[in-house]
Amino acid sequence: MIQVTALNKVYTVPKRGEGLWGSLRSIFSREVEEVRAVADLSFSIQAGERVGFLGPNGAGKTTTLKMLAGLLVPSSGERVVAGFDPSKRDPAFLRRITLVMGQKQQLLWDLPPIETFALNRALFGLDEAQAKRTQDELIQLLELEPLLNRPVRNLSLGERMKCELAAALLHRPDVLFLDEPTIGLDVRAQVAVRRFIAEWNERSGATVLLTSHYMADIAALCPRVIVIAGGALRYDGPLKDLAERYGGGRKVVVRTRDEAPETLGPFVREDGALVARLPSAEVAAAVDFALRQVAVADLSIEEPPLEDVLSKLFAERS
Amino acid sequence: MFRAFPTLLRIGLAEAVAYRAELVIWVLTATAPLISMFIWDRVAEEGPLGGWGQGEMARYFLLALIVRHITSAWVVWELNENIRTGSLSPMLLRPMHPLVFFVAQNLSAMPLRAVILAPLIVGILWWRPELLWTPEPWTIALGLVSAVFAWAIAFAAQVIFGSLAFFSQQSLGLFNVYFGLWSLGSGYLFPLELAPEWLRQVLLWLPFRATLATPVELLAGLVAWEDALGLVAAQVVWAVVFVGLAAMTWNLGVKRHEAVGA
Repeated sequence: MIQVTALNKVYTVPKRGEGLWGSLRSIFSREVEEVRAVADLSFSIQAGERVGFLGPNGAGKTTTLKMLAGLLVPSSGERVVAGFDPSKRDPAFLRRITLVMGQKQQLLWDLPPIETFALNRALFGLDEAQAKRTQDELIQLLELEPLLNRPVRNLSLGERMKCELAAALLHRPDVLFLDEPTIGLDVRAQVAVRRFIAEWNERSGATVLLTSHYMADIAALCPRVIVIAGGALRYDGPLKDLAERYGGGRKVVVRTRDEAPETLGPFVREDGALVARLPSAEVAAAVDFALRQVAVADLSIEEPPLEDVLSKLFAERS
Repeated sequence: MFRAFPTLLRIGLAEAVAYRAELVIWVLTATAPLISMFIWDRVAEEGPLGGWGQGEMARYFLLALIVRHITSAWVVWELNENIRTGSLSPMLLRPMHPLVFFVAQNLSAMPLRAVILAPLIVGILWWRPELLWTPEPWTIALGLVSAVFAWAIAFAAQVIFGSLAFFSQQSLGLFNVYFGLWSLGSGYLFPLELAPEWLRQVLLWLPFRATLATPVELLAGLVAWEDALGLVAAQVVWAVVFVGLAAMTWNLGVKRHEAVGA
């Protein structure tokens, strides 16, 4: 559904010196520098996949999403989305994709959301009966009924984001580019949006490429992640393998009825409990070993926090 | 596109109603012709000016007020805001040209403008009933056609200046310079008939007249048939030039937007 090959984006940014002299000098001699936002990025995403697109601030995530949606033209490289070259912004292409950007909204500020829905139905030339059915489905899934007739300016950030998602999906796009869809939302609203994205993906079979700084979003939604830093690909694969490779393995904690020994096989004593950090494949054997060797009072297996995994990955390669 | 237009107009009107207080202020700030009407009315009491008597003068400004409102646009501010804040991006991802959306938005406020303006017009006609005139059908027909071209030129001019926001933060400043020249050269503040001969000759070659004085003079029945067609032909030429320039500026601006982002 999405094919990206050797994608590059270089911005030319004006350089300006400090202070008054710097400002004056920039009037007469315009110095510029090139910033490489995306560097030789290649990946492909199959129809129906939910992929997390991760990276530190300024990694090139939004730039990539904008290139895939057709808002930005790459400096070089190829990308094909739903069989189209996004740069042409062919109406047939625009009917098959949507881009939701957390901070840039398409809702009509002084009118109720229902008017934006009507506007989008008209702009996308949707079949009224079909579009109404989709609209009702979205209203029910996102619990929008009480919000429909209130001016957008009177809605909370979370309510607005839910309406934004509904407006962006009325035309039932096959590809969803979601750029920080939960940014600034409280925990309840985050959970609601997350649940909705998963359910919509299952119902409609749409492909989802999602960026988020909330690791809970990624953990809940994306079996696969693509990690970029400095515009270049750092990792592309299953989320669970990412934790395995960069998280130092899963943490097995065994609390014993009696005092724990200093060491026991792969375990060492930490804060009175036996702790081992192991690759997934070795966890079962270690647990079995512990159960046979000591009287176990409690046992837990923890995934390494995704935040830690990613900061390790960013630090390692940058 | 045509199927969507009624919905666009309905929503544009709903937006105009939501912004009604702002719209009333807008309408009232564009009543300069009314002030000119009082001033020139007094001046014309002394005797005909440029061949126009008191009645013609007052009728000219009454029509200038009406034409100014039916040909007004505000797309320059919309474009400037949308480009600067990045709100244009979602519009570019809709399968309809953003400018078509703005055309509908600008046109849809007309009925509300008319409602706000109507009491003012009725009041003036009640005060000066002699201003009611019986125009020739051809002047009305040609005047209305001319008003459509005047609107097209005004809208395109605003698209040109609005699209400059893709390149510069000073686009509104540049538009204000244009608006200043327009006020002087369009017949908004004084009828072009009263300008010195050399200035009238210069203004004949500039686009401003085509956006206001031409439809006003036609509707007021102040232009002879043989001159009327020439004035409308000049409007057609200006409309082509302005729409062409607007398309060029917009396309170059969007290309830059695609290169540097928002």
